[in-house]
Amino acid sequence: MTDHRISLPAAELSQEVHIAIGANTWRELQATLWAKGPHEACCFLLTRPSRGMVRTTVLLREVLWPEPGEVIATPRRLEISANYLSRAMDAAIDAGPMVGLCLVHTHPKSEEFGEGAGLFSSRDDWYEQRLFPTVTLSREGAISASVVIGSRGDVDARVWWRDNNRAAAQPVHGMRIVGPELRILETPASPWRDHPDPAVMDRSTRLWGEEGRRRLQNIRIGVAGAGGTGSLTILALATMGTGHLLVWDKDVARKENRHRTAGMTVDCVGHPKVIAMRAMAQSFATAEPFTIDVIEDWATTSEGLTRLKDCDLVFCCVDKLSARAPLNDLAYAHLIPTIDMASWMHPDRNLQIDALMTHAHVWSPGIPCAWCRETLTSYNLTREAQGVQQGIENRIPYGLTLDQTDGVEPSVLPLNMLGVSLGLMEFMQIALRITTRTPRDLKFFLPEWELDESDRPVRNGCDCVLMAGRGDTWAISPVSMDS
Amino acid sequence: MHKPSELLAQAVSDLSARSGHQFEISPETVSGTNLFVVHTLAHEYRQEYTVPSGGLGFRVPFNFADAAPEDCFFITAAGTKLKVPDTVRNSSDLHRVGVTEGFVAGSALGNVPVLVFSWHLWNRLPWDRKKHTLFDHYTHCIRRFERPEHD
Repeated sequence: MTDHRISLPAAELSQEVHIAIGANTWRELQATLWAKGPHEACCFLLTRPSRGMVRTTVLLREVLWPEPGEVIATPRRLEISANYLSRAMDAAIDAGPMVGLCLVHTHPKSEEFGEGAGLFSSRDDWYEQRLFPTVTLSREGAISASVVIGSRGDVDARVWWRDNNRAAAQPVHGMRIVGPELRILETPASPWRDHPDPAVMDRSTRLWGEEGRRRLQNIRIGVAGAGGTGSLTILALATMGTGHLLVWDKDVARKENRHRTAGMTVDCVGHPKVIAMRAMAQSFATAEPFTIDVIEDWATTSEGLTRLKDCDLVFCCVDKLSARAPLNDLAYAHLIPTIDMASWMHPDRNLQIDALMTHAHVWSPGIPCAWCRETLTSYNLTREAQGVQQGIENRIPYGLTLDQTDGVEPSVLPLNMLGVSLGLMEFMQIALRITTRTPRDLKFFLPEWELDESDRPVRNGCDCVLMAGRGDTWAISPVSMDS
Repeated sequence: MHKPSELLAQAVSDLSARSGHQFEISPETVSGTNLFVVHTLAHEYRQEYTVPSGGLGFRVPFNFADAAPEDCFFITAAGTKLKVPDTVRNSSDLHRVGVTEGFVAGSALGNVPVLVFSWHLWNRLPWDRKKHTLFDHYTHCIRRFERPEHD
């Protein structure tokens, strides 16, 4: 029988298009849909957009399961009732602006037809061309989507949106399953390529396999901050075979930075830090091709936060709490796992360390966020904003003077290196899944010489649960680090 | 140098609308800090004070509402005393306040000393960045005018 494919109304929403979904939702979805085998099965989910500079991601969140009788299924086809569609549309409208619908369905294995391919069939095309104009034309600003899952776990997907006054479609390049780890399922439209000479990273490949190598070669990692921890992170990522880096920092290199910053030669002093980072990364990179975009600005400006949405994973290497607030929210709202690293040390009067801490904390659905962990509190942020007048409200009314300090704390390379190493171990787990469990916040303390994992759970009612996967519908306030 | 964000400007506008007092925000942050001054020029004080009314305000971080308003407030009449000495403390000084210079530098008030009130405004109910407003903070502040002058 000839397969008469119809051509869908193609257009380009973005240079790159992804779908992302929380790992728990994905597991629930798979378990329920495959239980219907050998029949096909489907459901609608609510979608929200996450629009970056070059990539648009459609985030899938609430599942709207069909009621009995709303879907008629056989091993080869599905019939969705008008009631189910109408109920799903109502749910999208009730959820607010920019919320659309995603139709997920399976192609199961059957005795008659064998394995089900994760590819859209001509019948799928025909059906969607009838369905999605109804869904998209009435939901301006929303981006809808369709996903088909094959019996071997392979997927194909596309997005649908209102382009002027018609419905348009674009193939999806990848599907991210997030929380706490990051899995990326390639679709037939995936532009990913393997390293042309994999032998150069043979020893690493023995740990994370060819799949891990391919993932490293193709994922895009953002590094917010190119100082003590940022520079070491960039050096390591380039060396490990990461293919694409985006680096932000507005600072200019000073001579005082050199003793604790990787790649900072004498010639770099007086120039933007990110220029030195680009030169260093290009010298050490083992990925091929390797790209690094450096941005002489803070990652937490409005433009920076938009561009961070192009990343699959982010390293938070900023030195202020205020910058951590938007980066933490971005990790959860846009399903972009983020590794936060920070160091702090305090010498006593005899210049002996009486307290030291370095930590690496994963921000990703399923892991308590910085607000749960109380790294971020509104009180801490206010205290930081008080600058040279820190604690004034507790002192002035009692006639006490302010402590005189320039606010500059000690910082040394080995401590930063330790924090970055903890972060990189977490990175291998999140991106390459080298073991079975992702840790929460890892902290190293002196004078105890102790490495500890936080046992704090997700705080009841915390925003990190409410905002997970809400994308652009969740307001994140930019922060400029200019002072 | 930070400028007030749209969100912060809107929060001050909402505060004015809800409080009935015309609040304004300083165009830049107080020197050495990332705090803006939010104040109104004519606000009634406590009846027991020697000065019946004057300026009242507080300071708000540039990254409001992630960061809470500072846990204190000020009045501009820095010489304000109690009309009748507090019998518990045997003093005409206001309780837990201090005259502070440089607290409102950069605001329309000029670099004048102000009387800063320590008041644990948010110790029982923590600031919720997605829920609380400057009006909530303001109502906490003026509760001070309704409480005893001593602990």
